[in-house]
Amino acid sequence: MEFFRKTLDPIIALAAIAVLNIFMFLLMGAWTVGGGETMMTGLMAQAVLGDELERIPFWSIVFPPHADYWKIYISLGMLFGAFVGAVASKEFYWRVPRHLSEWVLITIGGLLMGFGIRLAYICNVSTFFGLMPEMNLGGYLAMSGIIAGAWVGSMIYKKILEGDA
Amino acid sequence: MTPLVECLVAFLFGSVAGLLMQRSRFCNTAALRDAIMFKTYRNTKAMLVAMMILTVGFTGFMSVGAGHPLQFDVGLNTFAGLFLFGIGMVLAGACTVSTWVKTGEGNIGALWALIFTFVGMFLFSLVWSASWWPPAPQTMTGQINPAALQLGFANAQTLQDKLGIPAVFFGLIQAALLFALYRGILRRERAQHVEHEKHQKEHQKNKSASAAAVHS
Repeated sequence: MEFFRKTLDPIIALAAIAVLNIFMFLLMGAWTVGGGETMMTGLMAQAVLGDELERIPFWSIVFPPHADYWKIYISLGMLFGAFVGAVASKEFYWRVPRHLSEWVLITIGGLLMGFGIRLAYICNVSTFFGLMPEMNLGGYLAMSGIIAGAWVGSMIYKKILEGDA
Repeated sequence: MTPLVECLVAFLFGSVAGLLMQRSRFCNTAALRDAIMFKTYRNTKAMLVAMMILTVGFTGFMSVGAGHPLQFDVGLNTFAGLFLFGIGMVLAGACTVSTWVKTGEGNIGALWALIFTFVGMFLFSLVWSASWWPPAPQTMTGQINPAALQLGFANAQTLQDKLGIPAVFFGLIQAALLFALYRGILRRERAQHVEHEKHQKEHQKNKSASAAAVHS
């Protein structure tokens, strides 16, 4: 199938996702990522810590772990959809970062993303495809924050690249 | 809708979105990073198109009271959180969405980023349990709360309620601004293209000139 041979124009892909997202908005709420991941974190922490988790009030007040939280399944769906797409187009193969510096950057980046999402109550998807289109005040705050952050991140990245060269 | 149906709809939506992103190599991180670092806008343009469609769609439905807009107070934490997120996504080379998509393609680095996103969230839960800030959803008032560095809640719907002008009116203004930005990027790309062609021509000229010099 042509679809699995050629790279799709991202404008077409995002326009299609936007239309589907309007249906999501009408049914349950706009496309969001972060809430599902938090729930997964809570469920994993519960599995490991058991009743000990009650000693961390965040998990009883802000995010009591539930497995039937729909946002979890958006994320699992994305994993599944991407896997199907990659296999069908013969693009699935194991990619492992080679340098220690990459592992370090990814680790720090992941930690900052997780911490930032929870601090803000949202991630970048809800910023661009949820809050901003709803014209929520938080969308503009978040947008300024993420652009400033991406700029600082890019500067750090450039410094590291120059350092390597 | 029952939770089961919601989860199924969410999974379906996620699958289609994941498939489309995998096939188009769209990445939100690239949309910002490439525009800042490399002045290339492939992903930025796609993001703007989606934002235009969504702005008109969401505010249109909000004008008649339909849809489920996000409801929570925002404040300094919204800015600060996304600032940290912005740094993190550039360092990790992927945002939360693309970590899932890239993990689906077999990228172990993306899976690693995802695992540490979970760890970061758990760390935050510990910090929150000591600081109790930002306010928990139950204690959000929707009003400005200077003590908690919160600005309350406002969106196209509250604008409509306050001013009596339909939400879609504001949406159309925002969409027009996004479109102006999109046009600006197209203009910039054309200028880059012209510049590039000029360089190539000069390069060729230099090459043939030096070749002629060798032959003579």
